[in-house]
Amino acid sequence: MKFITKNLIAYALLLLVYTLIFRYTLSNVLESEKFILAMVSGVVYGVLIFITAWILGKAHTIKKFVFDAGLGFNVTTYIIWGLVSELWFILGFNSKYENIRSVHYALIIWGVFLIIHFLIYWRLRSRTIKGVLKSEIFD
Amino acid sequence: MKNDVYKNELLTTWEDTYKKGQLTLWIFLALKDGPKYVNEIRDFILEYSEGTISCEEQSLYRALRKFKHLKIVEFSSGKGNKGPDRKYYELTEIGIEILSAFISRNIKLFFNQKLIELMNLK
Repeated sequence: MKFITKNLIAYALLLLVYTLIFRYTLSNVLESEKFILAMVSGVVYGVLIFITAWILGKAHTIKKFVFDAGLGFNVTTYIIWGLVSELWFILGFNSKYENIRSVHYALIIWGVFLIIHFLIYWRLRSRTIKGVLKSEIFD
Repeated sequence: MKNDVYKNELLTTWEDTYKKGQLTLWIFLALKDGPKYVNEIRDFILEYSEGTISCEEQSLYRALRKFKHLKIVEFSSGKGNKGPDRKYYELTEIGIEILSAFISRNIKLFFNQKLIELMNLK
């Protein structure tokens, strides 16, 4: 099964842009002690990711009949968010109210869910042929 | 009268379920007859099923894209009467083999003498 598709690449690029804007906004509003705005930016960021993944993921599944249970999108989000966040701290762009430990905790907890997601995907894979659900091939 | 309506309702419900699973077989038979574009496949099905199986163009496109992904069918571009080129679909070797195996396992058995008699086909 082709795991990396055009839609997934498009999603990764958009996510990279969203994450950079989010990190920049977050660090700036925290530095200015506008904590409500920090929460708002977090919600906007989350909603944007959800909508983008929903649209690109759905189009990807319909067009290619590929059933990957959203794993590709989950892994991509994990890698890009983790990389950008880590680099943000390493390069010293963070505000004094941000702590790198919160990024590490998020990555550990998210990583556990990612492993569970992978196990579910692995189990569901036996119900597919070339990524298409067997029950949908000749329906 | 009431009984007729009831029987008809049961029959059409049975037929609807039965026909749903038949589209693949009809598509494959149409393509075994030779490469066809979507409208020709639809016409073939309509003609040879004597109008009992009809299918939306969209359903055919969806099924054909899926079969293409699974390497059961392939297509080549050919000239249309007017407008853009048409996609002419045909069965791949895998497609021909699974159709043949499917017919051997599931269709030929209906030509058993006993079953022919039971279905009053003689």
